[in-house]
Amino acid sequence: MKYLKFGLMALTMVASGILSSCELDNYDGPDATLQGSFIDGETQELVQQDIIRGTMVKIIEHGYDPVAPQYIRAQPEGTYVDKMLFPNTYTIQPERGNFVQVEPQEIVIKGETTLDFVVTPYIRVKEASIAKVGDKILATFKLQQNVPNNVGRIGLYVHPEPIVGEPIRTIASEMAINAVVDPEQTFTLEIDVPSNSSRLEAGKQYFFRIGALIDVPEAKFNYAPSVRLGI
Amino acid sequence: MKVTRNIFMWVSLLALWSCENVLDLKPLDKLDSETLFSDPEGVKLYLANLYYQTPIEDFTYFFNGFNINTGDPNNSGIAPAIQTDEAIGSEFAGLSPWGSGDFAWWDQGYKLIRDVNLLIEAVPTLNISDNEKKVLLGEGSFIRSFAYFALAKRYGGVPLITSPQEYGGDVEALKVPRSTEKETWDFILQEADVAIENLPESFAGGERRATKWAAYALKSRAALHAASLAKFWDKSPLSGTAVDQKLVGLDASEADRYYLACIEASEAIMDSKRFNLYQSSPASPQEAAENYRRLFEDPNKALEEVIFIKGYALPGTGTGHNYDIWYNPNQTSNGWPHPGRMNPTLELVDSYESYSNPGESSPIVTTLDGMVGDDNGFDRNKSYKRFSVENPYQLFEDKDARLWGTVILPGTTWKDKRIIIQGGYVLPDGSAKIETKESVTHNGMTYHTYGAPDWTQYSGFDTHAGNMTRTGFGFKKFLQLDDNVTPSWNQSTTDWIAFRYAEILLNHAEAVLESNYTADDARSKAEKSLNSIRRRAAHTVDIPLTLDNVLRERKIELAFENKRYWDLVRRREYHLLFNNATKHALVPLLDLRVEPAQYIFVRREVSRGTPLTFPPQYYYKPIPGIGSNGLVQNPQY
Repeated sequence: MKYLKFGLMALTMVASGILSSCELDNYDGPDATLQGSFIDGETQELVQQDIIRGTMVKIIEHGYDPVAPQYIRAQPEGTYVDKMLFPNTYTIQPERGNFVQVEPQEIVIKGETTLDFVVTPYIRVKEASIAKVGDKILATFKLQQNVPNNVGRIGLYVHPEPIVGEPIRTIASEMAINAVVDPEQTFTLEIDVPSNSSRLEAGKQYFFRIGALIDVPEAKFNYAPSVRLGI
Repeated sequence: MKVTRNIFMWVSLLALWSCENVLDLKPLDKLDSETLFSDPEGVKLYLANLYYQTPIEDFTYFFNGFNINTGDPNNSGIAPAIQTDEAIGSEFAGLSPWGSGDFAWWDQGYKLIRDVNLLIEAVPTLNISDNEKKVLLGEGSFIRSFAYFALAKRYGGVPLITSPQEYGGDVEALKVPRSTEKETWDFILQEADVAIENLPESFAGGERRATKWAAYALKSRAALHAASLAKFWDKSPLSGTAVDQKLVGLDASEADRYYLACIEASEAIMDSKRFNLYQSSPASPQEAAENYRRLFEDPNKALEEVIFIKGYALPGTGTGHNYDIWYNPNQTSNGWPHPGRMNPTLELVDSYESYSNPGESSPIVTTLDGMVGDDNGFDRNKSYKRFSVENPYQLFEDKDARLWGTVILPGTTWKDKRIIIQGGYVLPDGSAKIETKESVTHNGMTYHTYGAPDWTQYSGFDTHAGNMTRTGFGFKKFLQLDDNVTPSWNQSTTDWIAFRYAEILLNHAEAVLESNYTADDARSKAEKSLNSIRRRAAHTVDIPLTLDNVLRERKIELAFENKRYWDLVRRREYHLLFNNATKHALVPLLDLRVEPAQYIFVRREVSRGTPLTFPPQYYYKPIPGIGSNGLVQNPQY
């Protein structure tokens, strides 16, 4: 009898626990997608980016205070995507990038949302050519700048991965410029393979990329697309 | 039923009776502040704890914080030096170098500040002489200035709380917003001034408490830091809300004012004539090297130079430290399983001057062609300089004595043992065996790649247990020469020099140059200081007062004293120096192509290193607890 009484009490307690929490606070997970491209306003081409320490797209969700901004990183070829956002209205603005600052705008993110940014890159790398010449890798290019600031420095960057850039490189061949450039001037950068023998393995494939940095606070590099070469 | 009713009655009686005071009982194992402060001995006890909490970056300061010397403080000995260009860890490049959590100090900072505020508030009420009150106020201000200095270095502008807060039921009232970075540095210097005004020049019993000179030294250091932040902000500007509200960032126009504060505080110490460099005129470089080593082995023998000591009197958990077990070379570990963790880099060794070429860094030349640019490793076609097996360290013989007093060079003697640092050998056919454990018999003799058959007999390049240097250099600054290492945690009792005269001279010289200060003969004073520091290291040729010379001198003289990290931060050089940066080694190889075998040295990248990059947002650390304290976060966190 005692045990039955105890058993009933226990059962009541457990049951009341389960039944009272029947209504689960099950919200949908973040399943909205935001994607887009950085498009050069003049040439209609994608603006090349760095995948780390590059342009970040800042989004601030509405309806919360305080709210921490979220950041979406750019892909090297000039796109961005985040497939795990909560559907809501956001204020969006790319930050600390390699193009003239664009104004923030409001966007409703829901389902699959696309937003392209038409931008003016600080620098365009033109007539880029990277080739193996004897023992060296030679890069030649011209620069067209779209802001009056000095071009800070230029570089040729090497890495075994296609995401090569100034932040991700095995070897860098850089030159300080610190001046406004003439769009007709041809720049040459080279990497000597034998004198970098401990880092570049002869016969292997590497990715090479030409970059230029404008002298604007917190600006990022502008690039030509990376090129794969065997050395 | 009757029993139940009786029980119920007695229980309720008891409850009603003792109901009233149960929450007001005083704890029997604590003292309230009135009781503690009413007794002068109680005040001293409290003050001792405040000094313990003071963020002095000493032997127990590692990437995971202060006072890391309790229990089994196993952090691989990753001191700040390992995260700069001074050294690399034998196993780690610095874990997650400069991870935002590294060297953090927020909660502990405000705990110390509250404790100091309690003392400062209590002092006027104490039953002691006016003079004693003055001294206590001075010490409280010194510790408070030190605490806010540690916070400002890490976080920029912070909430300035100058009296203990009381909780009256309203949490919002406790939230104090951040002051601007300028207000914070001004407060730090102001508090240092209060300390300077109230502290005595010394304590009769020789107690290690803050003196007027320690307060001047703190001001010299803090003012130089603030001035540099103002002058060099533009080398790595940041943006965001914290910048807009001036919570981080000092305007360039503030620089000269702070440089002047540094100059004046430094000159107060210099003009007092109370301090001098220890053993300022050595007879030879060998003597100078030994003097320099002794200064750090026992600062109590060098009280003419030392301004403030933090003592480690007893071995044991909470009271000793671990430099001797972490950093002795493998051969002198005396059974301790994790020695050899601090590996000075080739970059640092290159920086030291040569006596025959004063006024410039003197990179180690290992080839007959005199070139140093190639770090690709051993090349059989190169003509290397050769050195006898008896003294491979002849390569360094012309280098500054402080190199010899800081670093264990291959083949030198330490604790009566010849320290064998060897990376491999070159076989007679010209092929090399480097960083692999092998042996070969040649002309009747057996040779081993690491210089000896068993791992207990050498101290370099073998990956065995992470005990060997991978830069080719051992470490000896601060270590005890004479006794055997006690192979157990927290046994070192070497005292730490918190402030010394050489630093003041270097602060002064840098401030004079950076602010173009020409009044009252400051430049000639600074030039004399620069050269007196060098003369203490047995240099005989004076060099001119230039920024390069002063900065090189600072890097060498203060190496491993936990200064370099902050020098790179305040001058905004960290992100320039560390952009996919690798560290370098000097690998001694036994060349068997000649008879008798001789040593050659190869300059190359450190093995198993990681390219390191310092992102600009790391110039400020993230403020913890933003969700509850409601503060504005630092940029890009």
